[in-house]
Amino acid sequence: MIKKFVAVVLTALMVMCAGAAFADINWKAYEGTTINVMFNEHTYANAIIAKMADFEKLTGIKVVYSTTPETNYFDKLNTALSSRTGDPDIFMTGAYQTWEYAPAGYMEPLDAYIQDSSKTSESYKYDDFIPGIINALKWDLVPGHPVGKGKLWALPMGWEINTLTYNKKIFEAKGIKVPTTTKELYDAAVALKEHAGSGTYGLAVRGTRDWGTIHPAYMSLFATWGAKDFVTEGGKLVCKLDSKEAIEMTDYWVKLIKAGGAPQWSTYGWELCGADLGAGKAAMMWDADRGGYTQNVEGASAEAGNLAFSGIPLPEGVKVQRSNLWAWSMGMNAYSKNKDAAWLFLQYFTSPEFMLYSGTEGDCTDTPRQSVMSSKAYRDIVNKAEGYLKSFEEVSANATIFFTPQPYFFETTTMWAEVLQDLVVTNKYKSTEEAMKQLAEKLTDLVSDLEVE
Amino acid sequence: MNKGSKRLLTITQNGLLFIYAIFALFPLIWMVLLSIKSDTQMYTTTFNFTPTLSNYTEVLLKTDYFKYLLDSLIVAGGAVIISVIAGVPAAYALARYDFKKKEDIAFQILSFKFAPEILVVLPLFMIYQTLGLYDSYFGLIWVYQLISMPLLIWVVRGYFEDISVEIEHAAQVDGYSWYQIFFKMLLPLIKPGLVSAALLAFIFAWNTFTFPLLLAGSKIQPITVAITKFLGTDTAHYGQLAVAATVSALPAIIFALCIQKHLVRGLSFGAVKG
Repeated sequence: MIKKFVAVVLTALMVMCAGAAFADINWKAYEGTTINVMFNEHTYANAIIAKMADFEKLTGIKVVYSTTPETNYFDKLNTALSSRTGDPDIFMTGAYQTWEYAPAGYMEPLDAYIQDSSKTSESYKYDDFIPGIINALKWDLVPGHPVGKGKLWALPMGWEINTLTYNKKIFEAKGIKVPTTTKELYDAAVALKEHAGSGTYGLAVRGTRDWGTIHPAYMSLFATWGAKDFVTEGGKLVCKLDSKEAIEMTDYWVKLIKAGGAPQWSTYGWELCGADLGAGKAAMMWDADRGGYTQNVEGASAEAGNLAFSGIPLPEGVKVQRSNLWAWSMGMNAYSKNKDAAWLFLQYFTSPEFMLYSGTEGDCTDTPRQSVMSSKAYRDIVNKAEGYLKSFEEVSANATIFFTPQPYFFETTTMWAEVLQDLVVTNKYKSTEEAMKQLAEKLTDLVSDLEVE
Repeated sequence: MNKGSKRLLTITQNGLLFIYAIFALFPLIWMVLLSIKSDTQMYTTTFNFTPTLSNYTEVLLKTDYFKYLLDSLIVAGGAVIISVIAGVPAAYALARYDFKKKEDIAFQILSFKFAPEILVVLPLFMIYQTLGLYDSYFGLIWVYQLISMPLLIWVVRGYFEDISVEIEHAAQVDGYSWYQIFFKMLLPLIKPGLVSAALLAFIFAWNTFTFPLLLAGSKIQPITVAITKFLGTDTAHYGQLAVAATVSALPAIIFALCIQKHLVRGLSFGAVKG
């Protein structure tokens, strides 16, 4: 009885606190408005959908939404944005996509909304966002200029860093130490080849012929190795994939995949990498930390409970782990006819209160808010996965987007992935150096029309 | 050839046919196998596993799967009905009457099939937004005419051309009006062809992906678009995807079985000309 009473009082207090937290702006100002939202099918979107009724009740705004799987989501979004009809008002996006959408004028900058105290509640606590993630979503629209400066184009829902996940049961059985250097990683991948018979292998990484292969593990090691994709020289973007570091790193990567990667590596996206790790086919995976985390949840896979997490293996002489990051975010359509109502939606679903829910009950484990990350509720959940929080905190300190922002991002990374595939599965090039030099030349030519000043 | 050799030949023929049947049906068998495997056994087993109906429960009872299926039935079925109502008279006109630019018009209709959907979808998206047709049954049924109408007109036109015009003249001499000739004589004669053309149009409409992906999404989601949701977000649920794919194949299979008699006649009709 007492327990029930305490629970009722606590719930009432929470509701009152939430009400008080939102009370300084008029949430009913756009009552009766309908806004359209386009989601990619994802846990982050599911958490929002679960709380949609609460938002509609608070604001009186009706939300019409669609969810589309990632394979087709951006085709749908590109069509909708390029029509300039203002539908959808809000959409899910990644940082790389903003490099195309923002220069095209499709995206509304959000700084003015955040700074306006009549539109944004004091309890929103913008500074609570982890700076690295917020910076990844800022850009001054000048190709070649790094992220972190300029206007804010989107707000993060969650983020992913790329770290090593390994099967501790297999490692123990084979007496192999968790790799902390690139040499150890190579040796472990070779030693774990066919660890449980034909078809099993050491390390799962992505290999499809698109940007998705470059941005997770490959780009993280590329940046950790000290290489860069582009630099600005003489008023032009110049590709640096032919630098000593870029060639060395790529050569290492090709040898690593050939020696200990999946036999069908060139068909591997995140789904197959995760599936092989979960099934015990792969002994390690280097991909988004969430991919390993979800395989480790009880009942999710055959190896659930046997997976553990580590950081980024370092090349000789390098001390800092640098992970390229991905942040699923929400942006506002510049042609929206309901911008203020859309801002209320963005504000509500990126607020500290909602993010505490999404980071805990909502299963969005990579929270972009510091207050959530330091909360006991969040840490209790995430700590159940061995090494997850430790590696997340270690690697996230230096995680950012290591690509040079420019509107040809998808073309350049797709060509990059093509060369990587050719190096692993064909004899098209005599050496990695030859391949990277030719690629650098092609990419410099591709971006030559960009105004960089 | 003696009796023993004949028997051996029959056994060999049947054996080869059996092997071909397994080869042809293997993707379907594999899909059904996946649909009764749990996520934990999906990659670790081939044929020896503990069957489960959990994927069926998840997909059929815990999602809006039947709503997606109904959306597909309404849109694909509606598109075929409109195509039959408008396409059969058009096919008749193209088969029987001589008018200026007849072949150009026929080719123009056929050319709707040539245009890649992605090429025309952006202007269509803008027009649909303006006219309020975006994300509506009517809008999708209308745009599906680009898929079903040319197919139906061109197939049925061929059947009308195979029927001798003298039969119509004879009926006119007997005092039948044009409408009576059309409905009581011509339609029954082309029925097998019409049924097979309608079935093909239905299958093409049912399988269409780009138009419903880009011109609908919130209120209406045909199964071809919705099915990809079952892949999952963080982990790939191939079992659920297999259930969604298996069940979505059923309407076309059932439809084809129901009209099998007409279908065989329709597909071979006119194959041999006298």
